[in-house]
Amino acid sequence: MRSSKRIKLDKPEHSQKCLIPIISDDLIQDTPLIDVYVDTINDPKHISKVIIDLNSSLPILDLTHLKRVKGKDILLCPVDSIGIDQVHGLLKIKNFDTSYLQNNIRVVSVAKIPPKTRTQYNKVNKYWPCNFHSDKYIEKLVTNTLFSSEELCEHEKFMKMAVLLANYRKITYKDRKCVGSVVVDPKIKSIVAVGYSNALSNPCEHATMVSINNVAQTQLSNINDVPNKSKLNLSGIPEDIHTVLQDKFEGSCFGSTWFKDKSEIGQPSDGPYLCTGYYIYLTHEPCIMCSMALVHSRIKKVFYGINSSNGALGTLCKVHLLKDLNHHYEVFAGLCKSECEGLNIL
Amino acid sequence: MSTAESESSLSDIEKSFMEKAFCYAKEALQNQEVPVGCIFVYHNEVIAVGRNEVNQTKNATRHAEMVCVDQVVEYSKTNSLKLESVFEQIDVFVTVEPCIMCAAALYDLKVRSITFGCKNDRFGGSTVLDVKEILKPVTVVQGGHRADEAMALLKEFYKGQNPNAPASKVKLKKSVE
Ligand SMILES: [Zn+2]
Ligand SMILES: [Zn+2]
Repeated sequence: MRSSKRIKLDKPEHSQKCLIPIISDDLIQDTPLIDVYVDTINDPKHISKVIIDLNSSLPILDLTHLKRVKGKDILLCPVDSIGIDQVHGLLKIKNFDTSYLQNNIRVVSVAKIPPKTRTQYNKVNKYWPCNFHSDKYIEKLVTNTLFSSEELCEHEKFMKMAVLLANYRKITYKDRKCVGSVVVDPKIKSIVAVGYSNALSNPCEHATMVSINNVAQTQLSNINDVPNKSKLNLSGIPEDIHTVLQDKFEGSCFGSTWFKDKSEIGQPSDGPYLCTGYYIYLTHEPCIMCSMALVHSRIKKVFYGINSSNGALGTLCKVHLLKDLNHHYEVFAGLCKSECEGLNIL
Repeated sequence: MSTAESESSLSDIEKSFMEKAFCYAKEALQNQEVPVGCIFVYHNEVIAVGRNEVNQTKNATRHAEMVCVDQVVEYSKTNSLKLESVFEQIDVFVTVEPCIMCAAALYDLKVRSITFGCKNDRFGGSTVLDVKEILKPVTVVQGGHRADEAMALLKEFYKGQNPNAPASKVKLKKSVE
């Protein structure tokens, strides 16, 4: 699908830092802490025996991410409901030999849950030693280094198409509030569908909803109805828009892969299904309705330019992070921000 | 949100509207769609009817409520009525609590009331995310009417995933969610 005339990929106009991942607070905020009792060991020679004894007589199932020892200090149990003067009594009941300890019990704050990022780890590990398994993808997200500069260029190109669509709509239909959107299949780097707000004639036809509807058009149309089967499916892009985009973005790829019905391949469809695997580029942060529509449609990534007062991917709430939902997508904000801001000026 | 449980709080005419919504939910089930039915009432007249048509349209946003919204847009155009004022006088009857998407849409349209059957544990616009708390709509919402019946329809649909069901049907139903 690589075209001969590729757009310049040497340097993205905007830096990585312009594109902000909208991620869960528990990746950004400090790891929550919990108070625990610690005591100091009399003779460091006995540390390994004390750990083994404590782990069998008084295991702390909720704090298995913590080491049991820090230097000569031993982690005994969470403060919870038990008083500081009752701790050694509890240890004795559990058959732990308290003569190993100095009976110098103190309260210390430690990580309540395993840290999720290296930054969080570095912080809580100072309080009390802690296990940490770094997740490469999460690290890239929180440090905002997910995309290569080549990828960033590509994201910018698609967002510029969305901006162009919004402007095209604004000029052609004299519509004040103009949101543009482009749906892309990243596997073949091709524009599958486009959309722009059409709320003047139908209040629910926001750009996202129009785009989703256009994706559906590509899956309703049958490959048997077209003469040239080698071509991609262009049913998601109105002809006039296709012409405009082709003209302005030379060498771009347009169309979706063809939907194959179960009956044709004799097994569950391997063709496109809803917006599975697709990215959407939106000039403005989508509202609650549109954000949830993207959950229903199983979109993979959402890029938007600027925040909306009724936005649901960062402003009013974060629909893509709702734990109870069966599908979650990733959201990146701030792409081509200044161009998108220009759309709001009459 | 207040979810009145008492069936008797509906008037006879409201009960008949709810009955109509159930007819469309059953029609959805017969067509291998998630069984949710919906009607929009304007000045005591049913001006829009809909059921889930996600599989048929290959569009995951074609919920019963959204289908009805489009009909109201047409209705207003045909009768040269101001769209905003029509929506503000609409009473929605739907067999299942509107999802987050539909709840937000109906609140933004400022519909007068929403009366629903059972809760929507998967996507509900109050059960999963309290959309009302965020948007502070004028819409009056009440649920719990024939909830067991509405839930039974959903269960009937989802039980299609049992191993005894014909293979093709299992796949069809799985593809919805
Ligand atoms: Zn929207
Ligand atoms: Zn819905």
